[in-house]
Amino acid sequence: MTDRGGLRSLPAALLVTALLAYPFVDRALQAQTVHAVTDAMIYVLLALGLNIVVGYAGLLDLGYAAFFAIGAYTMGLLNSPVLGSPLYGHAWSFWVIIWIAALVSAGLGVVIGAPTLRVRGDYLAIITLAFGEIIPVAIRNLGDITIDIGGWRPVERLNLTGGENGVNPVGRPQLPGVNFDTDFIPWYFLILAIGAGSLWAMSRMRDSRLGRAWMAIREDETAADCTGVNPVKTKLLAFGLGASFAGFAGSFYAAKLQAITPGAFEFNVSIMLLCMVVLGGMGSLRGVILGGMLITLFDRILLAQMTSLIRSVGRSVGIPALISVDLTLWRWFFFGLGLVVIMLIRPEGLAGRRLRPPAADVDEGEEDLALVAAPPRPRAEAIPRWLRQPPASAAVVNSHPILEVRGLTRRFGGLLAVSEVDLVIPPRGIVGLIGPNGAGKTTFFNLVTGLLRPDRGEIRLGGESLIGLRPHAIVGRGVARTFQSIRLFQNMTVLDNVRVGGHCRLHASVAGAVLRPPAVVAEESRARERALEMLAFVGLDGRGEELAKNLAYGDQRRLEIARALASEPRLLLLDEPTAGMNPRETDTLTELIGLLREEIGLAVLLIEHHMEVVMATSDRITVLDYGTRIAEGPPAEIRRNPKVIEAYLGKGYEEELVSG
Amino acid sequence: MSGTSNLLELQDIHAYYGNIRALKGVSLQVTRGEIVTLIGSNGAGKTTTLRTVLGIVRPLRGTVSFGGRRIDRVPTHRIARLGIAQSPEGRRIFAPMTVLENLELGAFARVDHDGIARDLEHVLTLFPRLRDRLQQKGGTLSGGEQQMLAMGRALMARPEMLLLDEPSMGLSPILVEAIFDIIQNINRLGTTILLVEQNARMALRVAHRGYVIQTGRIVLHDTGAALLRSDVVRKVYLGEK
Repeated sequence: MTDRGGLRSLPAALLVTALLAYPFVDRALQAQTVHAVTDAMIYVLLALGLNIVVGYAGLLDLGYAAFFAIGAYTMGLLNSPVLGSPLYGHAWSFWVIIWIAALVSAGLGVVIGAPTLRVRGDYLAIITLAFGEIIPVAIRNLGDITIDIGGWRPVERLNLTGGENGVNPVGRPQLPGVNFDTDFIPWYFLILAIGAGSLWAMSRMRDSRLGRAWMAIREDETAADCTGVNPVKTKLLAFGLGASFAGFAGSFYAAKLQAITPGAFEFNVSIMLLCMVVLGGMGSLRGVILGGMLITLFDRILLAQMTSLIRSVGRSVGIPALISVDLTLWRWFFFGLGLVVIMLIRPEGLAGRRLRPPAADVDEGEEDLALVAAPPRPRAEAIPRWLRQPPASAAVVNSHPILEVRGLTRRFGGLLAVSEVDLVIPPRGIVGLIGPNGAGKTTFFNLVTGLLRPDRGEIRLGGESLIGLRPHAIVGRGVARTFQSIRLFQNMTVLDNVRVGGHCRLHASVAGAVLRPPAVVAEESRARERALEMLAFVGLDGRGEELAKNLAYGDQRRLEIARALASEPRLLLLDEPTAGMNPRETDTLTELIGLLREEIGLAVLLIEHHMEVVMATSDRITVLDYGTRIAEGPPAEIRRNPKVIEAYLGKGYEEELVSG
Repeated sequence: MSGTSNLLELQDIHAYYGNIRALKGVSLQVTRGEIVTLIGSNGAGKTTTLRTVLGIVRPLRGTVSFGGRRIDRVPTHRIARLGIAQSPEGRRIFAPMTVLENLELGAFARVDHDGIARDLEHVLTLFPRLRDRLQQKGGTLSGGEQQMLAMGRALMARPEMLLLDEPSMGLSPILVEAIFDIIQNINRLGTTILLVEQNARMALRVAHRGYVIQTGRIVLHDTGAALLRSDVVRKVYLGEK
């Protein structure tokens, strides 16, 4: 690590020197690009804020410029002498307003976000699009407000926003000895400082419990919910924090330009920002900076320079068509073309994580045939010590069963998916749930974990009702699950998948994530250590940095179990954990389930079609058919129950039992 | 290749799956009318082999021939029309469409309406559960029912060759038995089958021949019955102690 740090610090030092020296070099060369570069950095800051929403949390926001507008108008309203608003005359200091603007934007982000976050994908995009349209229209129409109540006019011709004309002038920052009036260089350093601070905060958020939760939501919202991540809270935080950076950018923009008009915050700005994020690479800070810089500088500098170059060529050669060329009119054409080309050759963006990593050719040579296909056997010593402590989710150990389900009923239209089902799991109990395909087993899981609400019936965990709790809250109470069709966070690392599993046992807030007080540092290093121990326990040590989607099928199944265990559950629900596993892997998993019960007292509810697994691990078995319980009892009884043989096991199973 | 009776022939296939070199010179043949099974552990290259046949994965080296014709550069949808259907791992059914629509889509490339109606009846006889759910959306089926639907859809194409990727996964014991009976039935009616299975015991019982694949190489090849007796197979793939 230290070696790499040393190597990495050299380019970083060069970069810092270049950034600090740039405006003075520019002045010496009389290039006069500082103004354009400063503007470009405003858009980069905006794109970075949008990246939190789109890149990290995966929420497509088509109206992000609205928050830019809100930041700018907060500055305009509070720092301009011309408006007829009640705030007139209270031209506050720039240094105060910039924080207010960020807060106002963040607040509006949450307010706007709250109703829209129940929807996803296309619907969310449409709603944010509408929001992006509403804000400029509202600003235009709030320039002349009259409220008439039967002739009484408490408000008459109030100019709140400057209407179509906008706000002009907007006050500049005041700082003793610094000339913000005629010199662009202080502006450059101010946005550099704001940008560097934002980048610092963002990178720390990304590498925290919070950043992992955003990415988990992006990858699979349902799985994240069932892993203990509160989706509503997490998404609102992304919206609010993303908007706050637009607040900074907007207020800086208003003060630098000293004038704002509603036209600067139209739909095309939102789209341009989105282009920057996509071009650079969603979720990559470096990429977004690169994308933002490329697009704005291409627009502001390259197109203008090319235009004058072509014109001068045209003049000297004498071609009138060239003299009248204006490439800046073609900017959207070039943006579109550039984006299409980039998406074709590098769909992950300029600096995004490569979708197709370079091929690694690891040739294992000829293995001994008998040695392969044997995953490491689980060992009692490898069980992470912290799992042996009474789980954080355990309240007072009492005499209640771990899980007690009574009369559980759920209907889908005319179909009774689960009907009057009772099921009890005692402490340290392992119960098998079997039945024909479509019998309602997975529906039963979804009811217990809160993904579905029962129509009738009671579900109690250690005596406490779970009815009405959201899935993430149920994880918090100590119920973890896996899915029949594996639902990992595919584009996150193996290690991060497990750490998201521990999300509900960590406490870092936004401030904690950014400032990293010792408590948070300790919590994070403990989370990492625990995740590594967990990976070692399930036989995935050394695989932590691989992407989950690159694991082989059986490894993915084990990772999903590791993720579930990381939430320190009292009850583990496994939905066909050995589906797609070979006999050896199946054996290993059977041992693992038994070990967890013996060593840490974990209770398990197991849906499984491999009878040798169910019979070997379960204390008791419940059999469902057409949503109702047709049998319940110890394995030896169940395997001889004629009803179960007829509906589920089949005659062949009986024969195999007899023949051994 | 000369006029052998090989319907499908893979010659020295090398292929990448993602960034992993998944196949390192796989050769196998399936003769018309056979059930051939490919067994191996997770990550050994079974699914990549099927994907290579279907043209979803393109081999770096080697050839795939079907009915004597090279198909390793033919687009996937055209390979399907040549008479190869698959019942995929992971139950890729069309979730927003009804069960009936899913089945009808399987026959998309066919024009013989009477034949289609007959085959639909045949599929619904094989899987009575699907008959109960004909108008239900595919996505509302349980996992095991989706598995049956995927298989039924593949049959609706009336393929000359059927690629089955873990057909027994997620099915109840009684249905696992049934599915292997169904596989044998389909085969007797003239469909050649390449079967990939974790349930090696059942697969080797119904298969005429079997190949064992390990980290991208074929390491064993024999008749199904002989492989069932092989010590190594019994230990590694049948889980016998």
